Amino acid sequence: MLNAPMKPADDRKKPFFVGLRMTKEERSILDKIQEKVGLTKTESLLKGLEILSEYYSLGLDQPPLSFELKKLEEEAIQHADALKRIRRREDALKEIIHELRIIDQIVDKYNDKNALIQILIDIQNKFNWISKTAVIWISERLEIPTSSIYQIATFYKFFTLTPRGRHLVRVCLGTACHVRGGPKVMETVERTLGVEQGDVTSDGKFSLERVNCLGCCALGPVIVVDNDYYGNFKTADVGKVLSKYS
Amino acid sequence: MVEKLKSASELTNLRERIIANRDPSKSVVSICIGTGCTALGAKKVVEVLGEEIKSKNLEERVKVKQTGCLGFCEVGPRVIVYPEEISYFKVKPEDVPEIVSQTIMKKDVVKRLLYVDHGTGETATTLEDVPFYKHQQRILLEKNAKIDPKDIEDYITLGGYDALPKALFQMTPQQVVELVKKSNLRGRGGGGFPTGRKWETTRNAPGEPKYVIANCDEGDPGAFMDRSIVEGNPHSIIEGLIIGAYAIGAHEGFIYVREEYPLAVENVNIALGQAQEHGLLGENILGSGFNFTIRVHRGAGAFVSGESSALISAIEGTVGEPKPKYVHAAIKGLWGKPTCLNNVKTWAYVPLIILNGVDWFRSIGTKNSSGTAIFSLVGKVNNTGLVEVPMGITLRNLIYKIGGGIKDGKKFKAVQTGGPSGGFIPEQYLDTPVDFDELTKVGSMMGSGGMIVMDEDTCIVDVTRYYANFLSDESCGKCVPCREGLKQIVGILNRICAGSGREEDLKTLDDLSELLRDASLCALGSTAANPLTTSSLYFKDEYEEHIRNKRCPSKVCRDLIAYYIKPESCQACLICLRNCPVKAIAGEKSIVHVIDQEKCIKCGMCIEVCPFDAIEKLSPAVPPTASYGIKVTPKKRR
Amino acid sequence: MSEEVTLAIDGKEVKAEKGTTILEVAKANKIDIPTLCYNEKMTPYGGCRICMVEITKGGRRKLVTSCAYPVEEGLEVATNNERIRKVRGMLLELLLPLADTGPIRELAEKYGVTKSRFEAKPTDCILCGLCVRYCAEVKKVNAVCFTGRGTSRDISPMPEIAPDICPICQECNSLCPAGKIVELTQDRHLLSIPISKKKTIASG
Repeated sequence: MLNAPMKPADDRKKPFFVGLRMTKEERSILDKIQEKVGLTKTESLLKGLEILSEYYSLGLDQPPLSFELKKLEEEAIQHADALKRIRRREDALKEIIHELRIIDQIVDKYNDKNALIQILIDIQNKFNWISKTAVIWISERLEIPTSSIYQIATFYKFFTLTPRGRHLVRVCLGTACHVRGGPKVMETVERTLGVEQGDVTSDGKFSLERVNCLGCCALGPVIVVDNDYYGNFKTADVGKVLSKYS
Repeated sequence: MVEKLKSASELTNLRERIIANRDPSKSVVSICIGTGCTALGAKKVVEVLGEEIKSKNLEERVKVKQTGCLGFCEVGPRVIVYPEEISYFKVKPEDVPEIVSQTIMKKDVVKRLLYVDHGTGETATTLEDVPFYKHQQRILLEKNAKIDPKDIEDYITLGGYDALPKALFQMTPQQVVELVKKSNLRGRGGGGFPTGRKWETTRNAPGEPKYVIANCDEGDPGAFMDRSIVEGNPHSIIEGLIIGAYAIGAHEGFIYVREEYPLAVENVNIALGQAQEHGLLGENILGSGFNFTIRVHRGAGAFVSGESSALISAIEGTVGEPKPKYVHAAIKGLWGKPTCLNNVKTWAYVPLIILNGVDWFRSIGTKNSSGTAIFSLVGKVNNTGLVEVPMGITLRNLIYKIGGGIKDGKKFKAVQTGGPSGGFIPEQYLDTPVDFDELTKVGSMMGSGGMIVMDEDTCIVDVTRYYANFLSDESCGKCVPCREGLKQIVGILNRICAGSGREEDLKTLDDLSELLRDASLCALGSTAANPLTTSSLYFKDEYEEHIRNKRCPSKVCRDLIAYYIKPESCQACLICLRNCPVKAIAGEKSIVHVIDQEKCIKCGMCIEVCPFDAIEKLSPAVPPTASYGIKVTPKKRR
Repeated sequence: MSEEVTLAIDGKEVKAEKGTTILEVAKANKIDIPTLCYNEKMTPYGGCRICMVEITKGGRRKLVTSCAYPVEEGLEVATNNERIRKVRGMLLELLLPLADTGPIRELAEKYGVTKSRFEAKPTDCILCGLCVRYCAEVKKVNAVCFTGRGTSRDISPMPEIAPDICPICQECNSLCPAGKIVELTQDRHLLSIPISKKKTIASG
C-alpha cells in the first residue's frame, strides 16, 4: 500500500484552483498572467473563456489551451448538454460566461462565506438548478472546498443538482393535508405526468416534488404550481390545472 | 423621506400625527391576503374591489387594507368592513359590487356573505359573534385583521413600538430580564423552557458578541401559527427582538424563516427596512445609544434545521445538522458565543408583557403555563384554523366548542399534538387542560402548537407510519438510532399496513422506540418514538387487527381493503366505469357494474363519483365473488 | 484555566482536568469504553452512539456520548450497566446487516449479538464519517464528503479532487471500522455513487 507523502496542504496558499487540479508550473503561469494583466484570478479565467469562444467562432479548432481553461471548456460543453441546448462550442462558452457573471453578482451581494446557503437559494431561484460550474465558481469566489457546497446542496430539499422543469409542481404532504387526502392527489399527479416525486417530465415541462408543509393546513389538500396556490384541491381537477401551464 | 426618530417623544408625536391624519369615519375594508386566502383567490377580490371603488368615486371615503392571516383559512377570502366590523367570508369577486353598494355606502349587511354556524344555523355579523373566534383570546393574533404588514404606520397606530421606549428608557436591561422571568413566559417553540431564565443565562454567559435569534422554521406539518405572525405582524417580532437584545446585551439578531413561506420572507424584509428607516433599528435606536441590527436567514427545506443547534449551524453557513448539545446555546451558540434562540411567538409576547405587566400575563392561563397558546386546529373538525386560547382550556372545548365538533358527524378517535414529536391522545383524555405539563403527562407534548384531529375514518397505524416516514425523510442521518432505527420502523409499519405484519413486530417496535428515546443525538430522534409509543399504548387493538386479521378497521390501508359495488344499489349509470383510471370496471346499461379486483388500484375515484352510494370499501380485502350479468334494481335517486 | 475535578467512573474515583471528555478520562485510567466513530486526531462526531455512558447528575440519570461530554465535579459515570449494554446491543443489531466485518463483528460478538432481526443492504459503510473527517480536518483536502440526508445519506468522492489524490494518499483506509479498503470511483456524476467495496478506482 502506497503511503507516499502527499504535498502537505499548508505548503501552498491554496492546494487546488477550486476543484481543478494544477501543477506548480501551470499555477505560476496563471500567476504571471494575472500580474501582467492586473486582474483577479476569476476575472482572468473569464477573459480566457471569452477569447476562447471568439477563437472558435473564427472556425479555428486547435487552440493552445492552459489546463484550467480546458477544464472549464469541458464543463461548458457538459453543462450545455445537460440543458439540452446549444451544440456549438463558442455558444456553450458564451453561455457559461454569462452564467458565471451572474453568479459573481449574487456572490457580491452577500460577500460573506457564511451566507453560502442564502447564495445558493438565489442561484437555484435564478437558474433552476445548481450546476457543477456554479459549484466550482462559488468555491473559488468564497474560498471554500467544493465538498461543503455539495454537502449543503444535497442536504436541503430546495436545491437540485439537475435542471428542474419549467414549472414546479409541489404537492403538500403535511399531516393535515395527508389526513385530508393528500397522497391521492400526489398519486393522481404522478399518473397524469408520468413521473415520480422528485423527477422531471421528459419534455422538461414539469418538475414534481413533495413539500412537507406550506402553512395552508386549513385548506388541505393543497398543491402549488410555480407561485399559484390551489387549496381544497380535488383529484378530478389535476388535468385542468396542469393544462394551464405551457 | 422618512425622518429617523431620535427619541421616545418623537415616536409618540409620530403616532399622534398618524392618528390625526386618519379619518375615523372613513371606511376601512380589510382583506386577508395571507397564503391561505390567496390560495382561495383573495388577490382577485382585492383587484375587483379596487376597481369598483374607483369606478364609484369612493377613493376618498374608503381605504382598502391588505392584511395578514386571522387563521380561519377555510372560509376565506375574508373581508371585514370597519368601523362596524361587519365580517364576510368566502367572498368571491362577483360579490364585490354588492359589498360596495350595500355595506360601504349604505351600512347594510349582505346576509349571504355572513358566517353561518353549522350546528345552530345562526349568522354572525361581527368577528366576535363567530363562535370560532368568540371563545378565543387573541392577544397575539388580533392585530392581524387591522394591520397591513407592509406598512409600519398601522402597527404604530395600534400601540406598536410603545413597549420599546419603555424598556429602553425606563428600565435597565436587568429589570427587563427580571420582568420576563416573573411573567413566567415559557418558550413557545415546543420545549416550554422558562424564557426569562434563558435570557438570564445568555446575559450572564461570558463572551462577546452575543446574539438573539427568532426561529420561524415551523417545520411541523400541519402548523402555520408562526407563518401567520411573521406574514401578518412582523413588527411584533422585531419589537420583541430589540427589547430582548437590549436585555441580553446583544447587538446582532437573526430571523430564520423557512423558504416555503415566501410571503413571510418578503414581509419581514419590508418590515425590517421600514424599522431601519424610522430609526427603530440600527445605530442609536430612538436616541438611546443602543445599537442593534437584524438579518434574515432563509431556510432551504429541512425540518431538522428547526432544532436549535442545527439552526445555528445553518446560520453559520454549514449544513443544518444538530451537534451533541452538552453545552447550551445560551452559553456557547452561534460561532461559539452566547446565543438566545426563541420561537417567533415567544418574542411576540414580549412587547405585550412590557406594556401590560406581569400580573396581566399571569392572569391568563394556568399557574405553570401563563399566557395564551396558539394552536393550529386542523384535520377532521368542522372549523379548522388557528386558535389562540388561554392555557388551561380543555381539549374538549377546543375541539367541540371552537372547532365545532367532528366533521360530517363522525366519531372522534384521537387528537395528535406536538407534531411528529408528539403523541396521540384518545377520547378518555379529552378533558385534559392544555398546558405544557398536562400534555406531557398523557404522553404527548405541547410542541409548537399543531393539533390534528382524527376521526373513525383515520387509521392510527397509517398515521403512525406517516410520521415515521416523515421523520425518516427529514432525519439528518448522522446518528445510528435515528437513521437506521427509523428506517427499520418504517419498514415494519409498511409491512403491517400491507398485511404482512408478524407477531414479534410489536416487540421490535418497542425495542426500537426505547433505543430512539435513549440514544438519539437530538430531539428529532428522541421524540420520534412518541407517536409509536402512544399509538401502541392507546390503540393496540388496531395494530393487532392489522397483524392478526389483516384488517384495517378504518378502511384506509390500501392492501387491506377491497372496493365492492353493491349489486342491490348499483344503477348502472356508467359513471364509475368511465372515471376508473385503469379501466377495472366492467358494466353496461342495466347490468350491475363489477370491479375487477386484479386490476383495481384502490384509488377511490369510483366512490368519489358514484351518485348512488353504491360502492363500499371492505376490510379484510375479501369481497364476495362478483358475478357479471346481474340486472339492475332501479331506484329513485336520493 | 486548568481546574481539577473529581468524578467517579464505575465506582472508581478519578481526577481529571475540567473540560476533558469522559472518554479521554476513561482512557487515561485504563477503563475501556468501545467506540466506532471516534479518533483522537479529529473532533468528536457523536454519530455511532456506541460510546454512550450513563451519567448521574443532580439526581437525574441520562445517557450521553462519552466522546463529547465534558467532565464536571461530582459526576457519576456508569460505562457498562444493563441499560447501556441493551443500547449497544440494539445499535450493533442495526449495524450488523450493513457491515458484518472487522471491529463491528468483534463488538457484536462481545455484546452477544450473533444475528439481527433486521434486514438492510450490506453496503459495508456505517457512515461513521471517519474518512470524511480525516480528509477534512487532518489532510485538509476535502476529497470526500457526506451527501444527502436521512436514509439517503451517503459519502461521495469529489470528482475534481479524488481521482488524483486518493490513489496516492489512501491514509483513511486504516481508519474504516468496516475493515474494508475505501475505494473510490472516478465518475463525473458523483452524487449518485456511494463509496462501497464494490467500486474500484479507474486508472488514470
